[in-house]
Amino acid sequence: MLGPALRIAAKDLRLSLRGAQGLAQTALLGLLIIFVFSLSRKPGELVPALAASAIFWLSTLFSQVLVFNGLYALEENNGARMGLAMAPIAPQAVWLGKALAGFLLVLCCQAVFAVAVAAFLGQDAAGSLALGLGSVLVVDVGLAALGSFMGALASGKGARESLLTVVFFPLIIPVLLAGIRLLEGVILGGDGPSLEWMGIAAAFAAVFSAAALILFPYLYTGEE
Amino acid sequence: MTVVLAAIAALALAVANWFIWVHAPLEETMGLVQKIFYIHLPMAWWGMISFLAVFVGSVMVLWKKSAFWDRLAGASCEVGVLFSGLALVTGSLWGKPIWNVWWTWDPRLTTTLIMWFVYCAYLLLRQAGVGGERGAVVRAALGVVAFLDVPLVFISARKWRSIHPTVFGQQGGGLEPEMFTAVLVSIAAVGIFWVALVRLRTLQLGQDAAVRQAFLHRTR
Repeated sequence: MLGPALRIAAKDLRLSLRGAQGLAQTALLGLLIIFVFSLSRKPGELVPALAASAIFWLSTLFSQVLVFNGLYALEENNGARMGLAMAPIAPQAVWLGKALAGFLLVLCCQAVFAVAVAAFLGQDAAGSLALGLGSVLVVDVGLAALGSFMGALASGKGARESLLTVVFFPLIIPVLLAGIRLLEGVILGGDGPSLEWMGIAAAFAAVFSAAALILFPYLYTGEE
Repeated sequence: MTVVLAAIAALALAVANWFIWVHAPLEETMGLVQKIFYIHLPMAWWGMISFLAVFVGSVMVLWKKSAFWDRLAGASCEVGVLFSGLALVTGSLWGKPIWNVWWTWDPRLTTTLIMWFVYCAYLLLRQAGVGGERGAVVRAALGVVAFLDVPLVFISARKWRSIHPTVFGQQGGGLEPEMFTAVLVSIAAVGIFWVALVRLRTLQLGQDAAVRQAFLHRTR
């Protein structure tokens, strides 16, 4: 499964980064969200670390929805989805491949968002950067696992992308809370409750990866 | 059968109301407002049981590929959204005089609200006909995923902050025996009502599907 998944991820990344239009649009949306939130404070007023962390993850979520909609839209035309579904590979390889591609694309966007949060919201990392990066990676794995699954749900005839957002956002609340707390810890320094939140984020990633591995073949068929 | 169930439910709810207003004593500090609890708790519990029923129905759809289980999941979800919505509203009505806020961050409140959002979205997906021909399977996958989220939502929300009173907690809670009887009767009465509602909606969805099948050439 890993070989086909890597090939699908590579194909998706090539297609998504060609012209970089999709990624630029996604990063721009996230930047806009951070900028708009910065307007909620008077000039010179400090944004609390918790709020800054929440804004970072909100931008990530919106870009995540765009990224996975885009990844599944790649096979929307000319029966390409049918081709992928009929390929002699495990259907889960499609989920994993798209999750990997989405994970990397979202990570690229987050690199931009991190700088924007530091600049627009005046934040600094007092804690360990390695812990920060580790937390973001663990949370992103959970987001990608569910994002790739939900992307398949929204693909095909009769699907509504806006509906996907309505389903996706409440489902990711646990990992969102974990991400917010972890990042707040990194901004403020000190690593008190971090491990427990890391555990919740890891549990989320594990539960939804397992669920996606079992359920994805039901969702992803060649039917239009 | 549905009529009989509905009649028993009506009778049971009437009896439950006698227990709530006559049998159970007035709570000392909260006064009359505490009576909301006898409606709130059964609604919250049966709301959560509805979501469990959606999960069971969804697993059965994936396993047996039967349209009956899909309809049962749909009916349970409708009733669940209604009941948990009422639990949220009654909780808010209780919270305003007692906590002095309509809403606060609490694991149980948050979990109920998030599940309400998720299952509302599930109903929207049902209405929108997502998945086309394979709609039942797509909905079932969502029904399973949604339920897997419940413990994670609860744990993360509890870790965030909690002020909810524990009625049936490890410390034994704070219920008088009469109040305990009243709440049990209320849970049972709402339970019968729940069964009647779910059965009625399952049958209606079945009839709806049968009519659509009969007029297939018109709907396509």
